[in-house]
Amino acid sequence: MSIDIKNLIFSYNRSTSLEKHALNDVSLSIKKGDFVLISGEVGSGKSTLIKHMNGLLKPCSGSVEVDGIPTHKKDIRSKVGMLFQFPQKQLFGKTVDEDISFGPANFGIKGNQLKKQVHEAMDLMFLDESIASVSPFDLSGGQMRLVAMAGVLASKPDYLILDEPASGLDAKNRKILFSILKKLNSKGISIIVVSHQISDVLPLVDRLFLIDSGKIVFKGSPDEYLRSTNLYLPDIPWIMKELHDRGFDVKFDIFDIDEAFYEVSSLLNPQKVDEQ
Amino acid sequence: MTGMFFSYIPGNSLLHRLDPRSKIIGIMLASILIFRAMSVYEMLAIGVVFSILFLLSSTTVKAVYSSVYPMRIILIFIFTIHLFFTEGSSILSVFGMNISYEGLLKGSTVTLRFIYLLMFASLLTSSTPSSLITVGIERLLRPFPLKVLGISSFDLAAMMSMSLYFVPLLHGSFNDLKDAQLSRGLDMKRHPFKAMYSLTVPMIRVAFRMADDLAMSMESRCYQGVHRTSIFDLRFGRMDFLCISIFGLLSAIIFFMPVLQDF
Repeated sequence: MSIDIKNLIFSYNRSTSLEKHALNDVSLSIKKGDFVLISGEVGSGKSTLIKHMNGLLKPCSGSVEVDGIPTHKKDIRSKVGMLFQFPQKQLFGKTVDEDISFGPANFGIKGNQLKKQVHEAMDLMFLDESIASVSPFDLSGGQMRLVAMAGVLASKPDYLILDEPASGLDAKNRKILFSILKKLNSKGISIIVVSHQISDVLPLVDRLFLIDSGKIVFKGSPDEYLRSTNLYLPDIPWIMKELHDRGFDVKFDIFDIDEAFYEVSSLLNPQKVDEQ
Repeated sequence: MTGMFFSYIPGNSLLHRLDPRSKIIGIMLASILIFRAMSVYEMLAIGVVFSILFLLSSTTVKAVYSSVYPMRIILIFIFTIHLFFTEGSSILSVFGMNISYEGLLKGSTVTLRFIYLLMFASLLTSSTPSSLITVGIERLLRPFPLKVLGISSFDLAAMMSMSLYFVPLLHGSFNDLKDAQLSRGLDMKRHPFKAMYSLTVPMIRVAFRMADDLAMSMESRCYQGVHRTSIFDLRFGRMDFLCISIFGLLSAIIFFMPVLQDF
């Protein structure tokens, strides 16, 4: 049970003067239950890559399979949920309920089962049952985003792909979002987060893929990433690593500013910190 | 937004280098000819003119084809209507409807006219960036006393360029939206009505939001709608005079072809 990508090559506007290579010989495998981060600069091919995972784009060469089924079969879309950037834009239903049931209904779920799945999805996103009959356009921006997420989760995907899920969220809502993702992951759903912001997500993930100009330049665990010598690191782990490399006894898998402060101050004045 | 019909293809051909005004005048002349053409000879002559222009541009066959192809349903509709509803000597009968020789001829002429129009338009759009087309139209309209009607050619040009800039933006948003709904299991072939609904409602919201944002950003930069100079400097050169003259001469010949034939 996994998403398997082998030697994927893709270019936009193939065989025209405007041809643009987007992905070049990408191979990776994401197992069921994994929590994965795909990161890279803007325009590196992240979005192109994830659009292959549910068959929105078809490879020019190479293969993409979900649980052994090639992605040109439409049934795989019920297995792979995809949440795009600013998902509140996709809302259209007259009521929240209608919008959330759009996905599962398209995948052939009817009657009580449909109601149950919609209810569960709303529960997961902390949406109150009372808004089910409200127009989604009457909600606040944050709530609209939650409704859109529920609309994807209601189809009960095995794999959930999120494109820049934290963009436009404040720190508090970002925390809530990641705790929801963690909860979903503990239920056995694979989470694939695409983000150029590494530091938010890295503490949560099992594995990390870095893409640059359509090529995978790094795959491995967060720990391997932090120990790497030639890759760009977020500020806090970078400082800690520099300290560590210069012979100071500090942990360097730290992303939180408070934790970093504790580490450094304990280094400066071990006794005082112990007393505290 | 690449791969869209009527999109600009960068290049440095003769058509690319011409002033947009000469190209617009050329298109206008060509349109007059196309709508006047009746006989096979005239149609052929227009075809020859198109081929010459096509060779002078660096446009590809694919680009021309891709501007005609999306209109296929309308074209087929026009052709069929003429085919079945023109009175004349019957040559074939399908489902109790008569196809006349005149209908076949008229259908082909009218359809070909539309195809020609699209083809000439694709020559203009593939060799001229939309911003230059707008400036060209604005300059051409300037001598006309539109002020009397309460229209300023600058406002017209501003509106036109804004609408043109919105096309790729809306196209991009539409593709994003389509991807999102397809991911939620939308089947466009099986549920065309549902597809329409789930795409148009958010699209209208997006379009209004975009227009609102643009209006706000224009206002915050004190847009007054007064006479503004353009960043593009148009130059009507010797090549333009030459091309327009040749094209005008050719048009005149084709225009008077029916008269000449009588001699």
